[in-house]
Amino acid sequence: MKSYLLVRIKTTQKNNLLLKLNKLDVDIKNISYENESLNFLIRAEDLAKLKKYLLSYKVEIITETGLFKLKKELKKNNLIITGLLFGLIIFLILSNLIVKINVIHEDADLRELITLALAEEGLTPLSFKKSYDEYEQIIANIKEQYQDQIEWLEIDIEGMVANIRVEERIINDYEENYNTCHIIADKAGIIKSIVTNKGILEVSINDYVQKGDILINGSISLNDEIKKNVCASGKIYAEVWYQVNASLPMVKEVSKDTNKMRYNFMIKTKTKTKETVLLKSRIDGEKRVENKLLFSLFGFEFYLQKEYEVIKETYEYTPKEAEDLAIKLIEEKLALKLDDFEEIIEQKVLQKYVKNNNIYIDMFIAVKEQIGVTQYFDESRSDTNDTDDNNHSN
Amino acid sequence: MRIKQNLQNFLFDQEYYIDIFANNIHIYHYLDLLNISDTCIKLKLEKFTLEIEGDNLCISSMDKREILIKGLINNVRFIR
Repeated sequence: MKSYLLVRIKTTQKNNLLLKLNKLDVDIKNISYENESLNFLIRAEDLAKLKKYLLSYKVEIITETGLFKLKKELKKNNLIITGLLFGLIIFLILSNLIVKINVIHEDADLRELITLALAEEGLTPLSFKKSYDEYEQIIANIKEQYQDQIEWLEIDIEGMVANIRVEERIINDYEENYNTCHIIADKAGIIKSIVTNKGILEVSINDYVQKGDILINGSISLNDEIKKNVCASGKIYAEVWYQVNASLPMVKEVSKDTNKMRYNFMIKTKTKTKETVLLKSRIDGEKRVENKLLFSLFGFEFYLQKEYEVIKETYEYTPKEAEDLAIKLIEEKLALKLDDFEEIIEQKVLQKYVKNNNIYIDMFIAVKEQIGVTQYFDESRSDTNDTDDNNHSN
Repeated sequence: MRIKQNLQNFLFDQEYYIDIFANNIHIYHYLDLLNISDTCIKLKLEKFTLEIEGDNLCISSMDKREILIKGLINNVRFIR
């Protein structure tokens, strides 16, 4: 920034002065002639030259521009400016400061625990406010660290106060109260496989059991006298039966590519799932999209998008196909509930019919399934099958 | 050739030029200011002396190479 000074030099011989200035190679601008003086703009660095060589003239600075003016103004108002800057800094600091952390919960121990956890994460009184993402991270860290104590946590910043709302996790410690239990049958079935870890086995392979029958007894007795009560454990697999029904439409809509493909570009933020397509799609009808990540920059992901035109067609299943598909669907749904040692033993279609373009199917399925569940009992009481006893299923 | 000269002139600022307007005259690349008065200003250029005659002539801006003269210009003379 060039700084110029508006100067006034008193003289009656204005032309002589201009000649002298020309000889001194002083750049002058906006010359205005007054009665006994000459006003003009000179560059700030030429002022020294003027004062050195034009000793007989009185050089008076009227105004300054640029950096000189700025410096002068700053010097003149330095107290106000310093005060304003100081006030601004104080305001910024105070508006970003947390002076109090208010943990809202009735349990003093939990309040102390949360306060300490927050301090470990850097959230203490007289600390600076953080961004939303940082608070989310703090919440996630604390919840992970104290997952047995904390169910839910929220940080709410109100002015200079951080309100921490917390919900305590209540774990049902019923198992700790009663350490004696039986394994009972959850369903009726024929026993196929037995694994006993603790307790007295009450059934054997191919026995038929009803729901509620004791499979592994937790009361160890000798000569009709209970010697010891334990918590029975083990796994009893039995053949259980289900009658299931399913329905499936006989027609389905399928998409078929027309071999027409167009390129497009898409931007997606890493944190949000919103997708923004840069160009207008050149495929008007139905389309299928494939995305290929080109690069990531400043939290944005840039994708090359391939748009394939597709046409929808209706496909009608044959009765055999529909039946197979319905059976497969039932098997898949059932398989989701089974563990590694459980399996479908037998299946039989009981009834099938087509109505209103839908196939309806009734099936009988025999499954090898774990039927033992834990039933806790109070060892001081003799009636273990009382319905007042709390059931706990694994 | 003229294009080359113009380009050289533009790049190296070797040649003078004089712009005459209604009430002012702008001279670029003058060497010296010889004389100033209300009616006549003399400037030395590389190959000649430029004499500007008029009424109420005054210098508006001036630096090492350029000068802007204001006033009613009656005559511009090249003295070789």
